Amino acid sequence: MVSVKDVTKVYKRGSEELKVLDSLSLDVPEGEFVALMGPSGSGKTTLLNLIAGIDQPTSGAVVVGGRNIAVLSEGELAKWRSHSVGFIFQFYNLIPVLSALENVELPLLLTKLNKKERRERALTALKVVGLADRSTHYPRQLSGGQEQRVAIARAIVTDPLVLVADEPTGDLDAKSAEEILKLMETLNREFKKTIVMVTHDPRAADRAHVQRHLEKGVLQLR
Amino acid sequence: MKYLPFVFKHLRRNWVRTTSTVVAMAVCIFLLCTLRSVLSEVDGMLEASSASRLVTRHSVSLTFNLPMAYESRIQSVPGVKRVAKTAWFGGSLPAKKEGQADADAGSDSTTDWSNFFNNMAVDAEAYFAMYPELVVPPDQWQSFKETRSGCVIGSKLAKKFNWKVGDKFFLESFIPPYRRRSGPFEFVVSGIYDADLAKFPGTDVSTMYFHFDYLKEGVAPRDIGVGTFMVEIDDGNQAASVGKAIDALFENSSATSITETEQAFKASFIAMAGNLAFLLNGIGLAVSFTILLVTANTMSMAVRERRTEIGVLKTLGFSSAHVMGFVVGEALLLGILGGALGVFGSQGLLYAVSHAPGVSDILAGIGLTGLELKPAVAVLGFFIAVALGLFAGLVPALSAYRAKITDILRTV
Repeated sequence: MVSVKDVTKVYKRGSEELKVLDSLSLDVPEGEFVALMGPSGSGKTTLLNLIAGIDQPTSGAVVVGGRNIAVLSEGELAKWRSHSVGFIFQFYNLIPVLSALENVELPLLLTKLNKKERRERALTALKVVGLADRSTHYPRQLSGGQEQRVAIARAIVTDPLVLVADEPTGDLDAKSAEEILKLMETLNREFKKTIVMVTHDPRAADRAHVQRHLEKGVLQLR
Repeated sequence: MKYLPFVFKHLRRNWVRTTSTVVAMAVCIFLLCTLRSVLSEVDGMLEASSASRLVTRHSVSLTFNLPMAYESRIQSVPGVKRVAKTAWFGGSLPAKKEGQADADAGSDSTTDWSNFFNNMAVDAEAYFAMYPELVVPPDQWQSFKETRSGCVIGSKLAKKFNWKVGDKFFLESFIPPYRRRSGPFEFVVSGIYDADLAKFPGTDVSTMYFHFDYLKEGVAPRDIGVGTFMVEIDDGNQAASVGKAIDALFENSSATSITETEQAFKASFIAMAGNLAFLLNGIGLAVSFTILLVTANTMSMAVRERRTEIGVLKTLGFSSAHVMGFVVGEALLLGILGGALGVFGSQGLLYAVSHAPGVSDILAGIGLTGLELKPAVAVLGFFIAVALGLFAGLVPALSAYRAKITDILRTV
């Protein structure tokens, strides 16, 4: 499903070049649940951004669902992201002026679905995460765990090829974190979603099928 | 269209800021429309002037009269076709009803100045001959000529007071020499004049004209004078030389004169308030520029506050053009709301002013007969509001367009 081939990512800070990923290769089969771990600055978020198509490598290829997204233009990438990837942020990043249902419906505005169909789909996604009864609530009226579940509903509503999660439990208490991890397991197991998750938390990483460790931009063999 | 509710929701997010920006925009457009309407009316008034009509007045000020004896001397100037004496009467209806006034119209009767309207004593024959745009039915004109206290009133004035031919009324002047111990002047409506406003736009149809001789007979001889001499000349191209010749006649007298075209006279009358066009345009420009800055600041703050959201939207698949469109859309909505509010506010004020008792007639007195918000001015005001919104939103929208997802999310 996801194939990262010999990817290098270099950031330029003035005249200085900073190599964040160094000839990195990674394969994530369809339906896999992979946890990316490593110390701060090891390049795991950069790798996640490349897989999600929100950044592009300096060299190498990132193939998701058979398409090399490293060669797409910014506009093509945006279009690709709208239907191929679901992103779960550490701080949920819901739009505060929109209700839970409207937040989930947001990515569907980019589709050709009519309003009724969009609402139905968004409600279905909220049902999957167990928050159908909170559809009219605004983010400020929800707990952290509930906000993250709405964010997950938003990530899955377009039925993407891959879900990427950047420390999805990093801002949650233990109980809420457990609920989120269970939900992600369910999405992986029952809905066959391919998940790539960055985490610092070993307990979260234990829920994944595979753990990969990065250090200084290189995948470690463990 | 499906994004519109999204844009609206963002505007409602900080409703105090949105409301104050819309109100600021509305005040700007309100001022622009109102000032433009006044200027447009002034222009219309000046355009309604004829090049072959000159106005001779006292060189010091309009408040000083010229001797009546000047009439024959002006008439003798080569190129002058006819001369008409005029005097601004400054009369208003007494507070008492006509019936009561009949009985005891003495100096103790109070005057209702809210019923003020423009009224002038004129040499009727010569004056109306100079103004072919003022049309009086022949029978009424005959009656006016034969009635010493007769007057002709504009159709708008007749409508306002529901006056018909044959009605009588009293007028009390606020100009001291024209205030009589014996009480207000009595008038009878001899005729109602009208004008083809399509052919002669800007023509005043809300003035009352009565015989100059009636005024002369009604006041002490030392108090009567001529406010202006209206002079019709044979050739409009000779206006400058004829005017110069008239003024030369009185150069060494105690009452020197200034003769100018009717258009210049009206313009100088308006210019008593200063360079009106420059002043009004200057105010409009300054206000518009200020509002541009205010709106731009509002939009910049809105975008800065929502940097994370912009990053999230782009992550979800919204293109940079989409995000830019949302910001521009918000700014445009501010412009549309402010523009609509401003245009309606201006329409309301102009309607109120032009229909306020007394005020409309004072305006008519200086030639501003049809003060209203013209569609072209309303469209211009609305267009300026939309343009202001667009320009104000452009820079923040470009910043949102260029923002990179990774840069935004890294700072979260």
